[in-house]
Amino acid sequence: MILQTAFMGLFGIAAIWFAVVVFRTHSMVRSALALLFSQAALGAMFLAMQAEFLGVLQIMMMATEMAIMAIFMVMFMMDPGGLGQMEMTHQKRLSQAAGVIGAFAALGIAFLAGWGNPAATAPGPQAQLRGLGLDLMERSMLIFETAGVTILTAMVAATAVAVATRSATKRKEDRE
Amino acid sequence: MTTVLIILALLVGAYLVAVLEGWVSTGRFRPAAPVLSGVALLGRESLVPRKPDRIFFEVGPVLLLVSAVLAAAVLPLSPGLIITDLATGALFVNAALAYVMVALLMAGWGPDGAYAMVGGFRFLGQLVGYSMPIVMTIVGVAMRAESLVTTQIVESQATLPNAVYQPVGFVVFFVAAMSVCFLPPFDLPTAPGELAGGVTAEYTGWRLAVMRLARAVLVVTLAASVTVFYLGGWNGPVLPPWAWTAAKTLAVAAVMLVAGRHVPRLREEHLLAWYWKIAIPLALLNILYVGIVLIAGSSSSMSM
Repeated sequence: MILQTAFMGLFGIAAIWFAVVVFRTHSMVRSALALLFSQAALGAMFLAMQAEFLGVLQIMMMATEMAIMAIFMVMFMMDPGGLGQMEMTHQKRLSQAAGVIGAFAALGIAFLAGWGNPAATAPGPQAQLRGLGLDLMERSMLIFETAGVTILTAMVAATAVAVATRSATKRKEDRE
Repeated sequence: MTTVLIILALLVGAYLVAVLEGWVSTGRFRPAAPVLSGVALLGRESLVPRKPDRIFFEVGPVLLLVSAVLAAAVLPLSPGLIITDLATGALFVNAALAYVMVALLMAGWGPDGAYAMVGGFRFLGQLVGYSMPIVMTIVGVAMRAESLVTTQIVESQATLPNAVYQPVGFVVFFVAAMSVCFLPPFDLPTAPGELAGGVTAEYTGWRLAVMRLARAVLVVTLAASVTVFYLGGWNGPVLPPWAWTAAKTLAVAAVMLVAGRHVPRLREEHLLAWYWKIAIPLALLNILYVGIVLIAGSSSSMSM
């Protein structure tokens, strides 16, 4: 139990550290990879909490997700390679305020909510897998389907925005 | 002990793959070549390019090797001869292999070279193509085994290997597996003759040796995963179980290496278009097909 808590803390600090690196660096690639490692550290926290499936899934999905993010980065950024030492932050005042409020809200929830007694033992990985499957197909189905469709819509919309329309291409050609 | 054995098996496999690759690409069978070139690479100076992203440059080749070895850790050589029999084994293989892309992106970005960077980003695009089919076909395998545990997946194929049971899934997985280890015609990130080595272009000396070893281990790992998921793993008559896994893995690796030599390298947009328009629908149909067969099989056995 002590070892588990220690590893939890270690990976938690790693996740926060990499999250800080995301904004400290001036290269998009470093930023994206730091985000990936931050999320992978969260996956490692799941593993430390004996949630094997969730941990492995998180570690896998975040690598793929980072790839998708990079594709959109290339589509939308003026400087996708980050060669121009671009600034990673913008709207500083607003984001500082949002960050502080968010941190207090998270801490408030963490300390004020009644979490109940921690479970003495976690169910075996197989049982967890079964439980997750049943939950996905019953109680949480609507949530996940809604989230999935929303993300898909956003991706289609983003692609549609990034792709040049025929008329825009023609106008550009006319100008040239 | 098991770990040492599996690592040794991986090394022997990587050596054989290197010999095979040399044989099919140069037409000459030279069993000493991998060792000789390895020693030569270790003796050479390992240059660091000007203004590299040092962390990525150093981590790239090592991460490639680590992800290949981690994926191999959940693939059984014979019953009991497996590093760790995770409850999420089939998913873990994918999780480890996803970091092949991260490693190549790092190796491409790190040296601050044009060819390398193009190679790295090409593999990123390649991942967008192959990652969905590879996961979806594994779903079909897990459905039949009713488990993600790799040893149980092998046991579920005792009567009939998955290659026969779900041939569509087998073909899609095989092609996707070739893309993961960037073998021709999917060698977009290295692309000899076009990108001058791509992600490997800026690596020399021991770093290149690590990268080549990682690539060979990756081929073995993918061949082993095809064996475990589709060819019945250790199942087979007469020979001991480990020999069957080893023989099948080698045969798959040989087919992978030979097949690509007769096809021109794919273009990135064709690769993506074909993966999304052909392979993903096929993989989804495979899931539907396996589901129907499973339900029909269970209902007929219930009525009897």
